[in-house]
Amino acid sequence: MPQLLTVRVQRPQGRLIRIWVPVLPVVLVLSPFLILAALVAAVACLVYRVRVMRAFGTGWRLFCALPGTRFDVHEGRTAVLVSIR
Amino acid sequence: MNEQRKDILDMLAEGKITPDEAERLIAALERDQPPMAASSEVRPKGKAKYLYLMVDSIDNGEPGRVNARVPLQLLRAGVQLAALIPPQALAQANAELSRSGVPFDLTQLKPEQLEALVEHLDEVTLEVDHPDAKIRVFCE
Repeated sequence: MPQLLTVRVQRPQGRLIRIWVPVLPVVLVLSPFLILAALVAAVACLVYRVRVMRAFGTGWRLFCALPGTRFDVHEGRTAVLVSIR
Repeated sequence: MNEQRKDILDMLAEGKITPDEAERLIAALERDQPPMAASSEVRPKGKAKYLYLMVDSIDNGEPGRVNARVPLQLLRAGVQLAALIPPQALAQANAELSRSGVPFDLTQLKPEQLEALVEHLDEVTLEVDHPDAKIRVFCE
């Protein structure tokens, strides 16, 4: 399961923005909304005749496979880094 | 574990040789074996963990670079999404593909085939050299 999301943005003016997002606390804070989203997703699965548990299982596996993902984009003097650990 | 080493350990387990003799035999075996090459070409199959995409480009005279690293585990989980696509969506996609001149039947594409594709990705290295861009896709 992902632990930390890191976002780093380097602006052309030289300003550097770093954001560290601890995933678990954020998930806990957003849990009421996540439960609501899960309910909506379950209804959507039923409407489109997709097996609900299989869909949630695949979503969970995707979420758990995220650690190690890293995107680093440099364009001129602008740079963006997104890293999931 | 190679066969010779296994034979030595079997002999040790059966009491035919002493631990000291087994150690000497294994040491001799390691001496006789050629050293592993350091190149990435001899990387054991199936050991790759990440898919790397590296792009170096020059746009309007400014250098650009994209480095992306995606865990193969994420790709394996992602291909399972294919099993969740509703049949009506597949039918619509097939119709659009045919209309665009690509007669490809997506319903024939099974998740097992996609998984096999991901399993063999670690043997793939793609390099594109262009005057304005250099692209490299590989697994490590």
